[in-house]
Amino acid sequence: MSDTKMVSLDAMDEQLIQKAKQEGVETMWDRKVTMKAPCGFGEKGVCCRICAMGPCRVSPVEGKGAQRGICGATADTIVARNFARMIAAGTAAHSDHAREIAHVMHLASKDGNYTIKDEKKLLRLAEEWEVKTEGKDIYDIAHEVAEIALNEFGKPFGTLRFLERAPEPRKKIWEKLKIKPRAIDREIATIMHSTHMGCTSDAESLIHMGMRTALADGWGGSMIGTEFSDILFGTPVPRETEANLGVLEEKQINILLHGHEPSLSEMIVMASQDPELVKLAHEVGAEGINLAGMCCTGNEVTMRHGVKIAGNFYQQELAVLTGVVEAVIVDVQCIFPSLTPITDCYHTKFITTSPKAKITGATHIEFNEEKALESAKGIVREAIENFKNRKQDKIFIPKTKAQATVGYSVEAVIKQLDRVVNSQIDPLGTVKPLADVIKAGVLRGAAGIVGCNNPKTQHDYGHIEVMKKLIANDVIVVTTGCAAQAAAKAGLTSKDAAKLAGKGLQAVCELVDIPPVLHMGSCVDISRIITLVSETAKFMGVDNCDLPVVGVAPEWMSEKAVAIGNYVMASGIDVFLGVLPPVTGSPEVVDLLTNRVEEMTGAKFFMDEDSLKLADMMLVRIEEKRKNLEKLGLATMNTAQEDDASTTALSEIV
Amino acid sequence: MNLFEIIYTGSNQALAAAEGLLKQAIDQKGKAHKVAFPETAYSLPVIYAATGLKMNSLGDLEGAIGVVKSLITEEPRLEPALNAGLATAVSAEIIEAIKYALNDTPYEAPCAGHISDATIRSLGVPLVTGDIPGVAVVLGECPDSETAAKVIKDYQSKGLLTFLVGKVIDQAIEANVKMGLELRVIPLGYDVTSVIHVVSVAIRASLIFGGVEPGKLAEHMEYTKNRVPAFVNAFGPLSELVVSAGAGAIALGFPVITDQDVLEVPTLLLTQKDYDKVTATSLEARGIKIKVTEIPIPVSFAAAFEGERVRKDD
Ligand code: SF4
Ligand code: SF4
Repeated sequence: MSDTKMVSLDAMDEQLIQKAKQEGVETMWDRKVTMKAPCGFGEKGVCCRICAMGPCRVSPVEGKGAQRGICGATADTIVARNFARMIAAGTAAHSDHAREIAHVMHLASKDGNYTIKDEKKLLRLAEEWEVKTEGKDIYDIAHEVAEIALNEFGKPFGTLRFLERAPEPRKKIWEKLKIKPRAIDREIATIMHSTHMGCTSDAESLIHMGMRTALADGWGGSMIGTEFSDILFGTPVPRETEANLGVLEEKQINILLHGHEPSLSEMIVMASQDPELVKLAHEVGAEGINLAGMCCTGNEVTMRHGVKIAGNFYQQELAVLTGVVEAVIVDVQCIFPSLTPITDCYHTKFITTSPKAKITGATHIEFNEEKALESAKGIVREAIENFKNRKQDKIFIPKTKAQATVGYSVEAVIKQLDRVVNSQIDPLGTVKPLADVIKAGVLRGAAGIVGCNNPKTQHDYGHIEVMKKLIANDVIVVTTGCAAQAAAKAGLTSKDAAKLAGKGLQAVCELVDIPPVLHMGSCVDISRIITLVSETAKFMGVDNCDLPVVGVAPEWMSEKAVAIGNYVMASGIDVFLGVLPPVTGSPEVVDLLTNRVEEMTGAKFFMDEDSLKLADMMLVRIEEKRKNLEKLGLATMNTAQEDDASTTALSEIV
Repeated sequence: MNLFEIIYTGSNQALAAAEGLLKQAIDQKGKAHKVAFPETAYSLPVIYAATGLKMNSLGDLEGAIGVVKSLITEEPRLEPALNAGLATAVSAEIIEAIKYALNDTPYEAPCAGHISDATIRSLGVPLVTGDIPGVAVVLGECPDSETAAKVIKDYQSKGLLTFLVGKVIDQAIEANVKMGLELRVIPLGYDVTSVIHVVSVAIRASLIFGGVEPGKLAEHMEYTKNRVPAFVNAFGPLSELVVSAGAGAIALGFPVITDQDVLEVPTLLLTQKDYDKVTATSLEARGIKIKVTEIPIPVSFAAAFEGERVRKDD
């Protein structure tokens, strides 16, 4: 594979990279080249720098070279510790995001900027958490629920509330393994403690702890993030949008929303519709204000408002290269610090808003949640006023964009499923139709394709190829994060894409009126996926690990992805990784993750850098799980003996 | 067995039966022996629509066996499963054609067997106008005659055209259901394979009214799915053969509603154990809306009775 071939699946990304070269602008790809081959010790996870006796690096080969760090830690310990810390960081990121949203809900008021948009969802949650609702003001309920959520981060006793949503057998497994997370922050702290020098020095124990911490993400932080975002900003319903850099408009003020937390982006959406600001935009000579989303914040606003998707992680620099972005507004997570030097080359304003993620060289306008709308208006005004500074000779907007249908929350999926319910047989509002097509084999299974971009793989190639292969084989795909944006750009989230699906999935798409790849939201919204899987398992009376369901991260890169992979696995769903995690220096850890965890959780990791091979492995695994379902008697039926046609004899005829 | 395995098993049974029977027939009569259904210009309509080929002799049918074989690829996917269902339909047509080739009157009253082109043409207008709102294929055996009669009469009162296959014919007779083309209840035959004579009606609708060219199978399937408002009620224990024939119905766009426990497929393969709800379930599954409101008079009143002659002793 040549260097340029490695870069991107998308021809227009290549054009922008060429443009960067011509204009002397450095991109992620240049830095990747400068980096040369990565350090083998770090790549294999056998480098440790958690105390000042180090850094230590031990040999990844047994019996050769340094076998232990100065303190005596083996490769197994070092790898497992590093891995556990990745999980802790990922969990921390998702959880701090969730905490913010819970705070916002605590702040919500009838006449404030933040209101309750989905009262029903709030009331359901209140009931689940045994908050009295009768005769109470909805905002009092909201505040009480928010406080309970905020306590989930640091409560002194008990385990997380949302764990109760899991299928019964799953809860028993967690119980037995002692990996029911207690409080979210506590699990993160415990990992940091146990991975301190001279503490846990047993790989299996660290993997256990990692699972518990990761579960605190999936069934804690992320789930709170999603639930509360829906309550505050509305539960997504199917809607149309467009994706790829072609959504940037030459004659409009382009604002790139990048980051994660919807509390900011929701307000920016509101601000961008403010008549005064729209008028100002016209005054500066623009035709309007064009919001375009990137990464998970992009997903949040596209799911709820149909805001167009500019691109995914890898395209954040490329978007600026178009020369038409007045402002990149960011909050937290997955923001390249290189946006500072890149935006310096253009008129683009790089605006950071969160005290949790300040970036040297960026314009910091702190987002004030107490005065959220006003604050957001100030930021949008900055962007509008920047329109006049565009460098006309540097403008280049690639024309490509694709139609996408987004907004498939669990609630929306169930509503679509209602379309195929025969009212004479079944009640509405259940996952039965989904369970039925899986049992019958019309759908072979389901795959959650999630995760980032990574310059180690060709941009979007893994996402798209895996998705195409799976849907062609009648496996329905649900997707979030940057994988979802890859799908949107490739047209796979349009209903039209059903023609790429196998006949079984095609039939389901037509009957249910959905695309073959369902955009379920941002990274925290992977909690929607585990909810959907768990609801289906509960409906069928089995555990998640009994279902022909797989989770896939073809191009993952972040620590959040590591946390996600671990909670998905610990929830009983096999996880397929297209980028090797830094664990290969320890055969013990590799064995644990790709083999032994299965005995504990019913699921494990599969790793291969070849996406197509990975897809084949998934299909095999899905069929294995189907066999298992048949053994459980769930995907089989009885037939009677035929007594005529098969034995029709000529004598009976003449 | 899983659903697809059952379908493949049934399809292979049908194939084996067709193959065996054809061999016997050729041994006895020779390859040149003539094959035809009476009163049709479409040869063996299912095979003709699927392949564009007319079957004139037992020897030709050997080719049709090849078609059946090519349609059975046993992969665990919906598409091959539906193809296998079509294979069963073709096998059934071969078997039925041999019956007609070797016997001048393979079907006797009350069974109709093959339906003539003229009859189909006469059904065309009421089908288009919605005067016949749907076509019900009732197959198998109800728990008792009263239940059978209730379901059939319900369809009759709503103006549907009902075909009966299997023991349900005797049950209908026992319960005094009035039958005949003009009463819109047509018993086809006792063998499962006789269900092909209603498939043949749907396919000829596509050839005659749809003007779809013979050989364009996908287009015929499109036509039957969109234009022929048929569905199947399969009662009583289901054999692999029946399930596989059901897959053929589904391939043509006709949902199957059964009183048995099956692996349900939303809108296509449904279990309804409450016989009082079978009609409503079926109509909903096929998206059939009854135009006329039912008139609450003591005798079943519908277009199906227009042709009824009141006999002296009634
Ligand atoms: S903890 Fe041990 S292995 Fe790590 S840096 Fe310190 S001495 Fe080295
Ligand atoms: S998928 Fe990965 S890169 Fe994209 S927003 Fe999520 S964590 Fe960041």
